[in-house]
Amino acid sequence: MGGKVTCTLGEVKQRADFIVYWGGNPAECHPRHFTKYTIMQKSRFLPRGRKDRTMVLVDIRETKSAKAADTFLQVKPGKDFELITILRAMIKDQRVTDAQIEDTGMTREVLDKLVDQMKNCKFGCMFFGMGLSMTRGKHMNSAALLTLAAELNAFTKFVAMPMRGHGNVTGADVIMRWQTGYPFGITFNRGYPRYNPGEFSTVDVLVRGDCDAAFIIGADPGATMPQPAIDHLKRIPTICLDPHITHTSKLARVHITTAPQGIAAPGTAYRMDELPLPLKPALKSPYPTDEEVVRRINEELQKKPFWMPEGAPLTMTAHG
Amino acid sequence: MSTVFRLKEQPNVPLEAEVLCPDTIADLSNAEIRQLTVFHGKRQVPLEDFFDVEGDGSVDMELHGDLKKVRWVARAMTKGSVTVHGDIGMHLGAYMKNGRIDVHGDASDWIGAEMKNGLIHVHGNAGGQVGAAYRGDMQGMKNGTIIIDGSAGLEVGMRMRRGTIILGGPARDFCGLEMKGGTIVLREGAEIRTGAWMRRGTIISLKPLQMMPTFADSNEFNPTFLNVYAKHLQQYNIDLPFAADAGSYQRFAGDLSVPGKGEILVWNPA
Repeated sequence: MGGKVTCTLGEVKQRADFIVYWGGNPAECHPRHFTKYTIMQKSRFLPRGRKDRTMVLVDIRETKSAKAADTFLQVKPGKDFELITILRAMIKDQRVTDAQIEDTGMTREVLDKLVDQMKNCKFGCMFFGMGLSMTRGKHMNSAALLTLAAELNAFTKFVAMPMRGHGNVTGADVIMRWQTGYPFGITFNRGYPRYNPGEFSTVDVLVRGDCDAAFIIGADPGATMPQPAIDHLKRIPTICLDPHITHTSKLARVHITTAPQGIAAPGTAYRMDELPLPLKPALKSPYPTDEEVVRRINEELQKKPFWMPEGAPLTMTAHG
Repeated sequence: MSTVFRLKEQPNVPLEAEVLCPDTIADLSNAEIRQLTVFHGKRQVPLEDFFDVEGDGSVDMELHGDLKKVRWVARAMTKGSVTVHGDIGMHLGAYMKNGRIDVHGDASDWIGAEMKNGLIHVHGNAGGQVGAAYRGDMQGMKNGTIIIDGSAGLEVGMRMRRGTIILGGPARDFCGLEMKGGTIVLREGAEIRTGAWMRRGTIISLKPLQMMPTFADSNEFNPTFLNVYAKHLQQYNIDLPFAADAGSYQRFAGDLSVPGKGEILVWNPA
């Protein structure tokens, strides 16, 4: 396991003749995804548009996206990891029994056809949503699909891409990655970045009560995180930067209203394929931008003595 | 005589104390030990801010108190012993090379992660990623023994290469994930996805397991190596059934998705 096989949505639009949506409902959550990038577009390599493309939807219930799909596969809830693992075995011609397949809500005929389509397409693309990545198994469900996509490259070109949510979440990952080498779950307490999701990821830190202050930009953990995390945010000094009054700003000690990005503040947003897009503001806002607030906080921090003592930081090397 | 550490003040953010290790303190005087640096969050503070230290340095350490927020204790230790009376935080005995750790209380995640050798015995429950590989690393524990009397969390023995993990209580999901060798003994079974993506190695369960669909049911037998293995485990007071008149083991081979040569042995009492 390792690495991610991916591409831009432009390549999907131009070349992808086989598209799988797994655990997502793009018709309702990403309504322009079909028409702009995936199934509806005509291109040089797929001149007949929708007729040249095949779409498969895998989900636990029949959503509105199922109408757009050529094949809808209803997987039993909580069996995504098992189903992807079966597919990994089947593309390598390993023997899986019918009973084992039926346990995931599928039949052998359906999976044989799916494996056949996956192996014989010219350019396959899998998009996965929160139905996969946020159900039991979490990161391993995503890892399973990414591994399946990587292994399918033994037969044909295949990529996998998460369907990201609202806001610039991809941007946060990308910037963290090129600045530190890690996308999230990072600590700087030793003066250099260390990565360990589960130990340093925001929700785990808050649930365990491992931090004594919180600084939140452009997110609303007060509405989305589990109750112990919200309780801890109430206990500690929480600073919230947001254009709106959110659940988080109601429990924060300080709320700073900022100009909305893309509307009144310029900047760069990252599309779900990690392509940076410049934002030009159309309106003026009386409020400062997020960047200005953070810069001014930084300037004040510079006036304080540096928190690391003189000399090299005490590093922990891998083997003592 | 062992060096005794008593936690006198509960840290309000994690305290990273990899200096609490026999190798570091063995040759130091009491005053020198008190001045060792620990990380309270991002702040470097002397050990004495949080611990009362009794006695000069030795290879045997005793820790007392609620140490849930104290991390990296006995990191990469090569000798001596560490005894913890109370709960202990993450990364206990990570990278350890030799020696013995006893916890009379609960342990947290990542105990014995990527250990090379030695013994860890937790008398209470443990968290997840016991003996596992750190994120991005290919191999977890390479040798040694981890015994947990209670339950354990997610991804026990993830990518372990060799060595033994014995759980007295149940494990949660993904026990033996991507295992590359070694043995995991589950006395009270596990939740789902046990042995997912395993390449090699053995998982022995004394309770029925919910198997991954990519494991092949092969045969029912009494493997000869288990006689030897059960005798080896007797030194830790662990009873592993192996006699043919008491029952037999159902063998599952997998994980076919890799495809791997691992095995899961499920005890079937007669």
